[in-house]
Amino acid sequence: MEIKDLSYNTGEWLRGTGKESDIVISSRIRLARNVTGFPFLSRANLRQRKEVEALLRETIAKSEITKELSYVNLTTATTVDKLLLVERHLISKEHAEGDGERGVAFGKTETISLMINEEDHLRIQVIRAGFELKNTWVVIDEIDNCLSEKLNFAFSSRFGYLTACPTNVGTGMRASVMLHLPALGMTKHIEKVFNAVGKLGLVVRGLYGEGTKVSGDLYQISNQFTLGKTESEILSIIESVIPRITSYERMARKALVLESKEQLEDRIWRSYGMLKTARMITSEEILQLLSQVRMGVNLGLINDIEMKTLNELFILTLPGHLQKLQGCELDSTQRNIIRASFVRKRLDNL
Amino acid sequence: MKCESCGKKIATVHLTEIVGKEKKEKHLCEECAHNVTSHFPKAPTPSDILTSIINQVSPEIEEMSKTTCPVCGLSYLEFRTQGRLGCPMDYDVFKKGLLPLIERMHGSSQHVGKVPPNASDEVVRKNELMQLRKELNKAVEKEDYEKAAQIRDKIYGFSGNINNGD
Ligand SMILES: [Zn+2]
Ligand SMILES: [Zn+2]
Repeated sequence: MEIKDLSYNTGEWLRGTGKESDIVISSRIRLARNVTGFPFLSRANLRQRKEVEALLRETIAKSEITKELSYVNLTTATTVDKLLLVERHLISKEHAEGDGERGVAFGKTETISLMINEEDHLRIQVIRAGFELKNTWVVIDEIDNCLSEKLNFAFSSRFGYLTACPTNVGTGMRASVMLHLPALGMTKHIEKVFNAVGKLGLVVRGLYGEGTKVSGDLYQISNQFTLGKTESEILSIIESVIPRITSYERMARKALVLESKEQLEDRIWRSYGMLKTARMITSEEILQLLSQVRMGVNLGLINDIEMKTLNELFILTLPGHLQKLQGCELDSTQRNIIRASFVRKRLDNL
Repeated sequence: MKCESCGKKIATVHLTEIVGKEKKEKHLCEECAHNVTSHFPKAPTPSDILTSIINQVSPEIEEMSKTTCPVCGLSYLEFRTQGRLGCPMDYDVFKKGLLPLIERMHGSSQHVGKVPPNASDEVVRKNELMQLRKELNKAVEKEDYEKAAQIRDKIYGFSGNINNGD
């Protein structure tokens, strides 16, 4: 598969299926691993970095993790390609912006990705549509076991899996669930969610992980600590909190319908109208519009658009995707024009 | 000037954001500006947390400041400024300095999770023992003494001398 083929469609995790998929977009687990016999990357010289990259790339290629693995060498990838991979959650921003020998292997459905030489030698990631942490764990655990047959990962019985940053040590596991919470955002109850979640040792972040801001009412909830609890204990903490947040969101939506039905419906229909007719849409505006329309579909107001189409538009209208589709770099005005026409076409074809 | 976020109202709030080395200006209407500031979760990144914890935990610094890892050459002071370790050995070499950090970060300093399937038997058994000890604590906390007794028997069942902790 080539990177340009990616710009027309999206990964399987956006198809809008799975448990609680009206609110839970996706579930993701990431494991940090380092191979023994090499320093962590901050102390590795160029030769060691190359060796780690080759060792991991070859081991992954030989293992039967998933069908049709593609490998992208990020050292030589263009800026637009790297941006596209970040937008699809196949690599992290840090991985895109890093330097030295590094790359990513990902499966055809884009549910599995293996980042080589990110902050740690290896970061394994599995994403699933909907609220599916348990199944996601089963898959990633299997991949980790499979690779452990051929690689020795740095591990101590005291501290568990040893990572470059002590914030990931132990399980090396970061699990996160992406939620669409427009009503809680609108009613400003979202702050209460942040506080409650914080007390459980979980954190809330924006769409693109660490330090990014919330947009399109999309939030990621993930575990802060990685040591002192088993993987399944950590996952059950997240699993126990998500249904409470989703029912809180549903309550907030009901309240909005009861208290300000006209305003709410007006806002949703106007957003839909804008998506179908506007000639220029900024990247921030589109997230707000899509968020409103998505809620409109959930509330049963809008029936002629599939959840998958909407979920995909969140990704396909991002700057990297538009530029890849157009085949050249675009300034923000050009992007706004192309974004608007792309959305019109997608919504017209229904 | 129109608001950059909603594209509808007039931008009355002008924010300057420093992203890396770049300075970005944002022009927003009052409503959108409010949303930006109030919806911004104050969630610090793991590295922020690390830095703040590093700064809080300092008594061991004097003693640790002379320590350097013989394998990768990282000094404890370098770790404190960069927040990244240099090699797996560092967890051992800087243990004294790391323990309070890790305790604070994770609320624990003992791994009880997955053990690599290819780990030595000893490592596997140590880990099982750790998990049993944890279960025992839980049972005692819940005053479930019957269960506690069962777990204790299992712990005694572990033959051989396995060291505590590390
Ligand atoms: Zn505005
Ligand atoms: Zn070292």
